[in-house]
Amino acid sequence: MKERFIFDPFVLPFLVGMAFVLLYCLGGLLQIVFQLPRADRLRFLKSLVTPKTAWKNIKDIFLNCLIHVKLWKRNRLLGYMHSSIAFGWFMLILLGHIEVMLFVPGRASLLYYPIFFNYFVAETETTLKGAALLFLMDFFLLIILIGIGLAMVKRVRSRMFGMRRTTRPAFLDRVGLYSLWAIFPLRLLAESTTAHISGGSFLTGPMNWLYLKIFGTGIAVQPVWWAYSIALCIFMLVLPFTRYMHIPAEMLLIPLRNAGIKIRHPRKGFALAEVYSCPGCGVCIDACPMSARKENLKDSTVYLNRQIRRGNERRIAEISDKCLLCGKCSAVCQVGVQGPELRIAQRSLRHYYIKPDFTAFDTESWKERLEGQGGKVLYFAGCMTHLTPSIKKSLTSVLAKAGVEFKIMDPDGGICCGRPLQMAGRKAEAKALIAKNREIILASGCDTLLLSCPICYRIFKEKYHLEGIRVVHHSVFLDELVRDGRLHISKGEESLVYHDPCELGRGCGIYEEPRHLLSAAGKLVEAAKNRSESICCGGSVGSLSLGFEKRKDITKASLQNLTAASPDRIVTACPLCQSTYSRYSPTPVEDLATTIDRQTTTE
Amino acid sequence: MKRTPSKTVLVIGGGIAGMEAAARLRQLGLQPILVEKSDHLGGHVADWHKLFPDMSEAAALVEKGAAALDGVDVRLSTEILFVNRLRSLYNVMLSSGSNVQCGAIVVATGFSLFPAEKKEEYGYGIYDHVITNADLEKWFNTGEDPRVTDDVRKVGFVHCVGSRDLKAGNTECSKVCCITAIKQAIEMKEHFPEAEIYCFYMDLRLFGKRYEDYYIKAQRDYGIHFIRGRVSEVGENIEGKVVVKAEDTLSGRPVKVTLDLLVLMAGIIRNPDPLPYDRRGRIPPKQRQSRGHHRI
Repeated sequence: MKERFIFDPFVLPFLVGMAFVLLYCLGGLLQIVFQLPRADRLRFLKSLVTPKTAWKNIKDIFLNCLIHVKLWKRNRLLGYMHSSIAFGWFMLILLGHIEVMLFVPGRASLLYYPIFFNYFVAETETTLKGAALLFLMDFFLLIILIGIGLAMVKRVRSRMFGMRRTTRPAFLDRVGLYSLWAIFPLRLLAESTTAHISGGSFLTGPMNWLYLKIFGTGIAVQPVWWAYSIALCIFMLVLPFTRYMHIPAEMLLIPLRNAGIKIRHPRKGFALAEVYSCPGCGVCIDACPMSARKENLKDSTVYLNRQIRRGNERRIAEISDKCLLCGKCSAVCQVGVQGPELRIAQRSLRHYYIKPDFTAFDTESWKERLEGQGGKVLYFAGCMTHLTPSIKKSLTSVLAKAGVEFKIMDPDGGICCGRPLQMAGRKAEAKALIAKNREIILASGCDTLLLSCPICYRIFKEKYHLEGIRVVHHSVFLDELVRDGRLHISKGEESLVYHDPCELGRGCGIYEEPRHLLSAAGKLVEAAKNRSESICCGGSVGSLSLGFEKRKDITKASLQNLTAASPDRIVTACPLCQSTYSRYSPTPVEDLATTIDRQTTTE
Repeated sequence: MKRTPSKTVLVIGGGIAGMEAAARLRQLGLQPILVEKSDHLGGHVADWHKLFPDMSEAAALVEKGAAALDGVDVRLSTEILFVNRLRSLYNVMLSSGSNVQCGAIVVATGFSLFPAEKKEEYGYGIYDHVITNADLEKWFNTGEDPRVTDDVRKVGFVHCVGSRDLKAGNTECSKVCCITAIKQAIEMKEHFPEAEIYCFYMDLRLFGKRYEDYYIKAQRDYGIHFIRGRVSEVGENIEGKVVVKAEDTLSGRPVKVTLDLLVLMAGIIRNPDPLPYDRRGRIPPKQRQSRGHHRI
């Protein structure tokens, strides 16, 4: 290869765009890193140099940002579309640099040179290396062009890509989108104009031949190269203000997450990285249980991120308050934006004029009563189990059958676990309750804390830090009793469908134990959407503003999903799900403990 | 008796309303047919013991109503299969297999009681000493119910169980529940003169003649306690007694009482309309129906 020129004015738009986007991203990176609390920042920096996390970062960035593995799992067309553009473009840039390194090493420091390489060089003799590289360049360009074609089809027929609804792009998003679409066809055109000089392969070669046939040798190549450069410039200039900001932001989010950083401030640091990492794909719109009956479509996480970026406080508060915090958006999110955590953080911004004071709670009476009782298992029923006495009755009956010595922490009412306050973003109040409950639990002398409510279970597990005490949900505990041979289940004739409660499944990752128990107690059938994609019952205490009628629609849609296999019974492991479903369900609804109690013999 | 279709009136439902309607129609010279799905007349009242506000016998009222049905064609254990409209008559198919043509239909299908087990927090069907108003009337009549012990010392009545309750799916007021609770409370006091009786109410809707006097009598003469506030939670203690937690909204304090028996005043749910009415409240003529007739 022989150099023809060093510089041409058409590279200027590209350089302007590139400089802008680089400076902007550098600023953003520094902003986010410095917004992290000191301890988190040190932890982050340390993780970058730790070989294990560093390798994980590289692997995750490659698999998620370039290959889009999660999207492939969701839908192949969607996966192809994204990875072709991301990986293909990456390869074009990489190959461009390799070409420069090989043929004109002196120009490697020029930012524009690898991008517009074909304009600046002339092919001298056909080297094998050159041919291979030219072929690869054309190959990846073709891959991208197919991806762009798919992207265009997706705008019209999103259902082909497994998406019922997608986001409505904002104005700048459209500008970014169309400029992105324009970049690659323009590149093809531009490289074709000079292919007889710089050399070409199976795409650019024939295109160039056609060109020469039509226009002759005197064609003006400059306008096409200008257009290509301008398209790049527009894309890079709008990038920070569009959803395409997720491309650089995700590369920061992944190391932050791998370092174990959590949201500490609603708008700064990690939260900001999450907001900017949202690609605005809209997978969360379909996933959101509130979107049943085509309502609340603009209250999903993708719109929360958009409104946070715009600083629309009224909508941020509205979206954050309405959410059920079921966590399904996080489960399906391709970049792992934590919808519920982000919303809880927004809720914490609200100022309450009346703050409850729990210091007056006297824990002595609880402590005294529990100290006098034997049994190493402490059972905390919680408010919802008290409102569904069938669960308490059957669970205590099963425990008695298995010969488990237990004591009840709140036979006559107890102190709230704190999860509802925590969900409302009232951290300090929740902490005060946690402190009271901790006192009682630690004084009781138990080694296992048993819970029948997943809402309680989650906060006991995550926030209580009960050293030396095992926190266990009754589904897991009963499963162990069965595996240890302390409970004998007889298999019934009925078909049972299991509903994964949000807090137990997505919240705590417990999917297998309840299913194991139920498959022993009857014929287990599955819902249309289950496990991490199970649909919230609609009764969640997470929502602060969703009305009863709206919840009714959610419950009905969820029931429809559950009864897809027309089971004889719906079994769940959450008292709130049970009472919500039984309000509308024609199929009987019961707790796991009730099923097991019925199917166990007394011996 | 020779039946004239245009003078025939079909009365659906053999409760007090249906019986009364049939008797009056007969008096007017029409030819009513009374159709009842159960094997006896009287509806819910037939299962009741005494009636408010004068403590008259429920059985006597049913007997009186049945006696007035002279000349009425009464069909027990019969249901309506479908109704369709002819030019000026209705054609009704009965489950007994016979076909009736009539000029008018009176719908007196009444109500069902709210299934109290749906309000699980009150523990009906779970705790040993929780019954409904209907169960209590049955006990008054038969004296047999394992849930009612011989030495009842404390009784609670919960008003509005499954009525005026959006979450229970019934926002309507049952109207006669308040006065029924007062009547049942007085009857319980008469059965167990030593017992303390508590009524947990939202507000008392005592609209009828002498109802208010009856309420005052319950407090003054029988010493029944009325606590304004909904019951939040019902539990069972180790001796199997019912523990009720509520808020006394008049004194602004939470209350907790341990009871030997808890009676849930299950609300009234209007039975669904048995006929395919259109928007004007009429049954559309046969030609306009897509399937020829309506099954009900």
